[in-house]
Amino acid sequence: MASLWSLTDGQSSAPVEHEVLIAGIGGQGIQLVGKTLALAATLAGQHAMLAPDYGGEMRGGPSQSTVVVGEAPLRALPIVAAVGAAIVMHDRFTGTVPERLRPGGLLLVNSSIVVADPETVGPYTCIELAVIEIAQELGAPAAAGLVMIGAFAGLTGVVQAERLVDAMRTLLPPYRQQHAAANARALEAGWATGAEQRMTVAPT
Amino acid sequence: MSDHPPDAGLELLEGSTAIARSAITAGCRFFAGYPMSPFTSLLESMARLLPDSGGVCINAESEIEGVNMALGASAAGARAATGSCGQGIALMQEAIAETALNETPLVIFNMARNQQDYFQCTRGGGWGDYRTLTLAPKDIPEAVKHTQLLFHLADAYRIPTILYGDPLIAQTRIGVRIERLDLPQLPAKDWALDGSRGGTGHSRQVWTWAMGKTTEPGPGPDRHWQAIAEKFERVAAAEQRYESFRVADADTVVVAFGSAAKFTAHVVEELRAGGYRIGHFRPVTLWPFPGEALARATAGARNVLVFELNAGQMIDDVRQHAADRSAVRAIGGVSIHESGLSYGPLLDVPVIRERILAGMSGEPRTGTPVHDLARSLL
Repeated sequence: MASLWSLTDGQSSAPVEHEVLIAGIGGQGIQLVGKTLALAATLAGQHAMLAPDYGGEMRGGPSQSTVVVGEAPLRALPIVAAVGAAIVMHDRFTGTVPERLRPGGLLLVNSSIVVADPETVGPYTCIELAVIEIAQELGAPAAAGLVMIGAFAGLTGVVQAERLVDAMRTLLPPYRQQHAAANARALEAGWATGAEQRMTVAPT
Repeated sequence: MSDHPPDAGLELLEGSTAIARSAITAGCRFFAGYPMSPFTSLLESMARLLPDSGGVCINAESEIEGVNMALGASAAGARAATGSCGQGIALMQEAIAETALNETPLVIFNMARNQQDYFQCTRGGGWGDYRTLTLAPKDIPEAVKHTQLLFHLADAYRIPTILYGDPLIAQTRIGVRIERLDLPQLPAKDWALDGSRGGTGHSRQVWTWAMGKTTEPGPGPDRHWQAIAEKFERVAAAEQRYESFRVADADTVVVAFGSAAKFTAHVVEELRAGGYRIGHFRPVTLWPFPGEALARATAGARNVLVFELNAGQMIDDVRQHAADRSAVRAIGGVSIHESGLSYGPLLDVPVIRERILAGMSGEPRTGTPVHDLARSLL
């Protein structure tokens, strides 16, 4: 099996695609976070795909979404077999992260809730961020997911903070516009936090 | 087009919205259906978008009402469509048969939960000698194109046409452009009911088994239904579509349709890169099935491996047309998500790779489907 993957990875002429799998529970904004990243990349003129995966529950049920971004029309399948990056937002549901994240991949962990077991995260480049505390300090306690996606973008450079803010404002329904300013602070603070970490991580 | 963004850049759209936009771009001005996941988001998109384009979208009280409303709108000359998932389209079969036999164009979106509707799409469930031309897109960009093509073909032949979608096409979001396909101009619909009472005689009648009126006799049922049957023969000859690659020197050809074919094609490319002599064949039209093309594609193959997410439906058509029917084997099976609304774990690259490799070596695969067990017991 490993040899087949390396054969695929060896097709270096193929355009690069960045995949991120975001896992958490209903109510954490997992779907909004995925949409924000995918729309931001689209607004920046990139090709993006968002594959949502959630059950019937609005709150507390498993929720994950996969986002793929690339410069060219995407080759990624709507059920992505392996991802280069993952975000774990809750310890009650890590979804398909353990089986899909490639060894050496980037793993962002919401350390406000999730305790990263060194043995489990060993194969990955793991970054722990207490995004709930960061969000609370910004006066945006519900925007921890946006802090995290901002950090992911800042860390990988996949999209600029301004595009994330544009995307968030587009996606926010009219009855939630009062949160737009706090959400923007969350995205920008996350992006800055991620950008600071960039030097500590080998390029993906 | 007013629904194009000014810069014609990519828009991040849910597949259902992209299809709705494409349908409206194709001139669809009437849509009626009843919600059922994963079709619901297409109905919602149509309800949101059609009024601004001068069209009408109705959330009918049932699937049977929805399909008959669409049939009525089409009889009056509009480009009209309905949809559901396979469960709801089962209810529509009587109206679909009437549509085919009375020669009214109609586009039907089967936003299916899985691939268990192949027989329904290709064999139909109504009465009489008819078929439904069915396109099975592999992804959202192709579904956008197929949508426009289906409206065109429905009008060109005056037949019902089906888009066989699925949850991945309905619910995934991608960056797409909705552009108008360059399709040939069609003649005016001189058969349409026009609401007049005196002049054309089209106000009250399109169909009484083609017997016509005392003053204007029709061909009668015998000649009418012969003509319908001949028309479907013409469609079958002219409208076969397929996509095949790497088949020229292939020992093994994998056959799959719809989204599943995108997965199998991905694995076939991987295995080719690994030195395997393997190719891929995808019927794009499920009916008419591209049988002669399949025969050519499988001419040198020792293994013809059929991957479909059902108990074995398309495999009937593959067996009928493959160069060597003894080479044809099923490597798919029933696989349903625990919600009941989408695919199960079989639609995944590692699983498909394992099944193809097992099929190539002739070894038994893991998780033998029930129908294979039953066959071995006989």
